[in-house]
Amino acid sequence: MRMKEELYACAYAAEFPAQALLRLRAELKSEPVAVLEGRAPQETVCSLNRLAHLRGVSPGMTRLEAESIPGLRLLARSVETEAAAHAVFLECVTHFSPRIEAASEGTSCAFVLDIAGTERLFGPPEALAARLRASLATAGFRASVAVSSNFHAARLKAASARGIAVIPHKQEAGFLAKLPISLLDLDEEHAETFAIWGICTLGELAALPENDLVARLGPQAAAWRALARGALPHTFQPIEAEFALREFCAFDTPVEQMDALLFVGVRMIDCLVERAAARALSLASLAVKMELEGGLAYQRAIRPALATADRKFLLKLLQLELAAHPPQAAVLSLTLAAEAGQSSQVQLGLFAPQTPEPSRLDVTIARLKAITGEDRVGSPVLEDSHRPGGFRMEGFAVGSGSGSAKSAVANRKRLALRRVRPPAPVRVQLRALRPAAFGDGERSFKVAAAYGPWRTSGCWWSAGVWDTEEWDVLADTASGASVACLLVRDCTRNEWRLEAYYD
Amino acid sequence: MPSSVNALRIQIEHSLERRFSAALTPAPHTIRETAPTGIAEVDRLLGGGLRVGAISEVAGPESSGRTTLALSFVAGRTREGLVCAWVDAGDALDAESAAASGVNLRQLLWVRCRSAAPIAKGKPWPRLDQTLRATDLLLQAGGFAALVLDLGGTAPEHGMRIPLATWFRFRQAAGRTRCSLLVLAQEPLAQSSAAVVLECAPRRGLADCETVLSSFQYEVRTGRVAAATYTAPAAGLRKPPVATWQATSQWQQGKCA
Repeated sequence: MRMKEELYACAYAAEFPAQALLRLRAELKSEPVAVLEGRAPQETVCSLNRLAHLRGVSPGMTRLEAESIPGLRLLARSVETEAAAHAVFLECVTHFSPRIEAASEGTSCAFVLDIAGTERLFGPPEALAARLRASLATAGFRASVAVSSNFHAARLKAASARGIAVIPHKQEAGFLAKLPISLLDLDEEHAETFAIWGICTLGELAALPENDLVARLGPQAAAWRALARGALPHTFQPIEAEFALREFCAFDTPVEQMDALLFVGVRMIDCLVERAAARALSLASLAVKMELEGGLAYQRAIRPALATADRKFLLKLLQLELAAHPPQAAVLSLTLAAEAGQSSQVQLGLFAPQTPEPSRLDVTIARLKAITGEDRVGSPVLEDSHRPGGFRMEGFAVGSGSGSAKSAVANRKRLALRRVRPPAPVRVQLRALRPAAFGDGERSFKVAAAYGPWRTSGCWWSAGVWDTEEWDVLADTASGASVACLLVRDCTRNEWRLEAYYD
Repeated sequence: MPSSVNALRIQIEHSLERRFSAALTPAPHTIRETAPTGIAEVDRLLGGGLRVGAISEVAGPESSGRTTLALSFVAGRTREGLVCAWVDAGDALDAESAAASGVNLRQLLWVRCRSAAPIAKGKPWPRLDQTLRATDLLLQAGGFAALVLDLGGTAPEHGMRIPLATWFRFRQAAGRTRCSLLVLAQEPLAQSSAAVVLECAPRRGLADCETVLSSFQYEVRTGRVAAATYTAPAAGLRKPPVATWQATSQWQQGKCA
């Protein structure tokens, strides 16, 4: 088959509202499903799947009529889900050509690709069409693909065909001849006229004499005839696809169980990873957004240490994040938005120090946080303050401190404190303004030596004011054990506390 | 002459074969990797330092130098670019002391357990259970050169309830991931799973001009050393069972520097 220079492929997904809702919900694919739109109770069927069509459901049916069909699953149309699915569809077709024009009509989603010159990349048009259809199927779409050297012929054939159709050059009229005339965007008056004339197919329209047709129906009739013959020229208007890794799923009933949520989440992660991998990218972060019952919103972010394309790993992080921070109400919709990052490549060395594997460490830290709490795991960072014991927790990451390892101070045998958190209130007996004995209610200590006081104060301008008096105390218990501890008197409240032990 | 000595040795070993296997042949000596604690007196006592890939216990009451010893060990490990973890049952670690001891805090993963953490489904885990679960996770994850399990504030009667199977599992995991698991406690807990037990005790505090606490002396002795880790001293010398060491306060260190 010899093709002209111009060559177009049209990817067409019929019943797109139904397909958009079903692509992430594998459990519904084996059920007859109809999608309703409009305000209750005047909702009508706008889209349906093949099984519903076999049950006798047709577009335009009212909810009451649809509900009378046993076993039919009714879903509400979701514009957001369709928008997300539309973006995914577009993302899939951009892998085959940079020049794409939108050709969606009604409840369908269609894109026409300019595939001229792609033979060396994807092989003959049949192979390209097969790969394009398989790619869309992987993303969860059931689409038909038609290839033709005429833009409109490809679009019309894709809308009517199932599977793959390749129209050879100059044979467009023959391939389009059997298609119904309803595929043309005719107004009611002209559609009725053609019905009266007995013109039902594009082939019959193409056979009519052009001059007579124009004389009776006006100049637009020439365009219809050219369209029916597959000869209407077209000026290609390419669009620019925005690369956004986002998946959205609205649930028909509020979801309370995490397992059900993860069941959808895993499919969304699969799609995101697949789309990122198609551009040789990985997922650097994952933003989880949920719309909850009662108008609440839920938002969390998952940031693995390294960008990854490991589905199981991302799912585990999502599972742990949801376990640590469960949504406060039932979930109405789930959105996963990912940031793409370069796939991480780590050069390992024979003499490199042994460190935890970053991806495994992420899961371990997430598990630790689930056990102990969000703010209880990490690396301590000293605060720039004179307040005793001031520090904050920061996320732990392998390699973040390796650069400063050499600058760390030399090893010292320094008296270390062992903090009592929260500080234990103690009763102190003073002799000559120095601690002589103290007790915390359980144990009593006799002070052998007390060194101090060391006074510190600060933040007098804010609520975090402190004014303390520290004493280093060597004390003996009744059992004869010796301890060295840090006693602190809060001067603002005149309270004594056992802050720490020297250990 | 040597051949006759060898023949004699083989003959004696053969005759004693039923009672002793290879009676006159020295047992093969396994060299175990150790990591220094950074305290020369303790390292001498241990024959080089704490075992890598094994459990070491540091037991003693409060103010017996357990935390100082552990921080010194962790500081040495982080200085080599290695990553360490501190599982803190009592939330007692003082970050300032750690930094002053030379620990690179960015390479220290600190897990602060608490008595009732709000976790999924609202189930609070007792602090000790959290500690053991966290230790298990970190040991299984691998990559940590040292892991300090700080049970220093846990009452011995509670610590004794930790099943031996748990310590055995920790020992296996530590050996597999080449992690030095250092257990700080008031009493030895790991029993046969511990490669070495150091028993610490306070000796006395030293003051400078009787006005400031300048340093503290500690005593440490080896309570139990697994046979495989014991390095025989040179003939005729007795290994000192007790070592005394001293830690100084921060301002004193600054003065010396």
